[in-house]
Amino acid sequence: MSRIGVFVCHCGENISRTVDVEQVAKAAGEIPGVAYSCDYKYMCSDPGQTLLKKAVAEHKLDGVLVAACSPRMHEKTFRKAAESAGLNPYLCEMANIREHCSWVHEDREMATEKATGIVKLMVERVRKGKSLAPITVPVTKRALVIGGGIAGIQAALDIADAGHRVVLVERDPSIGGHMAQLSETFPTLDCSQCIMTPKMVDVANHPNITLYTYAEIEKVDGYIGNFQVTVKHKARSVDESKCTGCGVCMTKCPKKKIPNEFDQGHGMRPAIYVPFPQAVPNTPVIDRENCTMFQSGKCGVCAKVCGPGAVDYEQTDSFTVEDVGAIVVATGFKLYTIDRKPEDSPIQGYGEFGYGTIPDVIDGMTFERLASASGPTGGKILRPSDGKEPKQVVFIQCVGSRAREKGISYCSKVCCMYTAKHTMLYHHKVHDGQAYVFFMDARTPGKGYDEFWRRAVEEEEAVYIRGMVSRMYQKGDKIVVMGSDIQVGVQVEIEADLVVLATAVQAQDGADLLAQKLGISYDKYNFYSEAHAKLKPVECATAGIYLAGACQGPKDIPDTVSQASAAAAKVMTLFAKDQLERDPVVAKVNEKYCVGCFACKKVCAYGAIEEKEIRDRQGNLVKKVAYVNPGVCGGCGTCQATCPSKSIELDGYTDEQIMAMIEAL
Amino acid sequence: MKNKLMHLSNETMNVGFVKKVEALSGSSVRRCFQCGKCSAGCPMSTFMEHPPNRIVRLLQLGQGQRVLAGRSIWYCASCETCTTRCPNKVDLAAIMDALRKLSWDADGPSKESYVQLANRLFIENIRTYGRQYELRLGAIFNMKSGQFLKDLMLGPKLLSKGKLKMFHSKNRNIGDIEGIFKRIEEMRKKGEAL
Repeated sequence: MSRIGVFVCHCGENISRTVDVEQVAKAAGEIPGVAYSCDYKYMCSDPGQTLLKKAVAEHKLDGVLVAACSPRMHEKTFRKAAESAGLNPYLCEMANIREHCSWVHEDREMATEKATGIVKLMVERVRKGKSLAPITVPVTKRALVIGGGIAGIQAALDIADAGHRVVLVERDPSIGGHMAQLSETFPTLDCSQCIMTPKMVDVANHPNITLYTYAEIEKVDGYIGNFQVTVKHKARSVDESKCTGCGVCMTKCPKKKIPNEFDQGHGMRPAIYVPFPQAVPNTPVIDRENCTMFQSGKCGVCAKVCGPGAVDYEQTDSFTVEDVGAIVVATGFKLYTIDRKPEDSPIQGYGEFGYGTIPDVIDGMTFERLASASGPTGGKILRPSDGKEPKQVVFIQCVGSRAREKGISYCSKVCCMYTAKHTMLYHHKVHDGQAYVFFMDARTPGKGYDEFWRRAVEEEEAVYIRGMVSRMYQKGDKIVVMGSDIQVGVQVEIEADLVVLATAVQAQDGADLLAQKLGISYDKYNFYSEAHAKLKPVECATAGIYLAGACQGPKDIPDTVSQASAAAAKVMTLFAKDQLERDPVVAKVNEKYCVGCFACKKVCAYGAIEEKEIRDRQGNLVKKVAYVNPGVCGGCGTCQATCPSKSIELDGYTDEQIMAMIEAL
Repeated sequence: MKNKLMHLSNETMNVGFVKKVEALSGSSVRRCFQCGKCSAGCPMSTFMEHPPNRIVRLLQLGQGQRVLAGRSIWYCASCETCTTRCPNKVDLAAIMDALRKLSWDADGPSKESYVQLANRLFIENIRTYGRQYELRLGAIFNMKSGQFLKDLMLGPKLLSKGKLKMFHSKNRNIGDIEGIFKRIEEMRKKGEAL
């Protein structure tokens, strides 16, 4: 006869509001084999846990059931408490009477009945449960950071500074990301390049960091502590080991009129190029689509002028496999572009804004490049159409963001602040100019942020107009902006020289594909999902993978850097141990009955099932059976359901347990 | 005027007027972030076509003409509830004072409003008699405003109760009162008073 203890939690009022917890505890006490039952206001609190420990000792309990919230929330908490009371932690289970009962029901009587039912069947599970011991797996103390923007750079530097080796993989020819494109940064207006480029150089020079630029993640195998990542090194057409970065190839390249992506297409670059002068590494790459040599086979100027002979037209994509123990995903964001949207995008354009048809309607990032000293205008604010200095500039916030009809319901978080910054930069550079901002709300939470916005209004004389713009059209060399001031309640018309749209922050192109390779989840906007919005904001639900920066959702630089350092700290925590303890909820094969059909191998999503040979004493092969690698097994139970001879069982979820639970109902 | 399309440009925004208001009131209009607390507590707000917050908003947009064209500034009772409660230290009561003063000086659309007329006659009366001569004030106001019969029927009642007097005696110290007026005029010349 078992001696099980049942502890029913009120969860403040979360459960007790709908469920009569006292009655549930009473009913539980009457189940055969339950030696003790009680209810308590907060089981997870210190007195609640003490109550559990005391009861285990006093009533000599051999199993514990906590009827409370989801096991995702507090299973660890209670298993730890049970363990400290001398019980095997896997003999402690949770009955979810909050998410599965009190939160979703209104009728008290019926909810109480359901909660009692849940408790009854979970008691059977505890009764049939077995003591399990955690599995230990070795940890490869080497981290992979995907993305070389400020998030990836910060995470890589932090992990490397802690003494661990880091592989940093960047898709573009240079690290730096979006932050390298910015002119000045809010709320202190320090020059982005000045604070960014030293960090980029640190990455390049750090003995613990291996930097792969112009490279992508091809394939991810393995599990926490033991990932095998295949990296695709795209053909750069320049041998990095030979190139000295002298730049002669770029000056001699006959094709120089290619719009520079780094300047949002407003500056020009040659076919062999580095994205910007401070690029790290300072090794050029050949843009094969625009290179005469690759398109027509005639030219070869860069190879001729290259002293060290680094230019290599024959180079092909190559692959390396990296063994790492943890992965930090820091792939960043892209800006919502109305004219260059893919055809299958759910987001409809803003025809009324004429973006893409009126040359002087630009986006925020283009304005950054115009204001940047390293930009195509050398830091002078000149409009794209005729190079004149604009005297009236209209900024429009929330373009794409907070527009459910356009497919984006979220706030892009950074636009209010960068628009305020833009008005200031404009005012500093064009003293007789006037900046207008059309906005719905000014959202400026953050240290020194609201003060920054108020400074733009009160001291830098930006005219903020609460209301949106309905239409814009070209009239002569002006853009007529028709909007409204909802505070005055009138229509407003401004003849602007330049219009800047604060377009929405979106997930990177291909974010979903990378997530599928990594096995991490993402939301409907392709932003990566954290394991818990509040308590696990940098961890993915997939163990060993961490998030940093705007790939998780719109974020500004301070938040991104904080999260990157947090992700690095998580990686260091993982690397602090030589062996990693894993949940022992894994499948086990009964070799006696296994017929070696390997149906399980076909369905296993984790690649955990191997073929094992069974031989007799003379070494003759008797049969082949399935073997589950416990380090790789994810404990999903698919093999258990598939096995025709019922010879695979998942510890903690055995057929015996499940059948007993069904019978209890 | 109230709902007319608003063109915004360096030419149409009268920044000079706003600067004057700010100088006279000693309060910045740019500090206001349009929370609406002034209008929420204003006892006269329901009578105004532009409630107090919108007055400030119009000034932020350099639309002094729209403000002066309305009567809101004359409905303001100078109770200073707005000033007391403003989270941004915008002295709205002082701004209203400044606006009334500028409206007075300008050949603005509200120059002939009855409020101004009443105020002017009130002050003239005091200067002439040293105290208020209500019957004369009422009579001249009615004549100048062209509403000859306005409140006429109240006259006999007020007269019988002694609230109005047919004839009026001048204040004995009329010279001192004239001195006060002279001093204010001098201060105005120096720019020390509104």
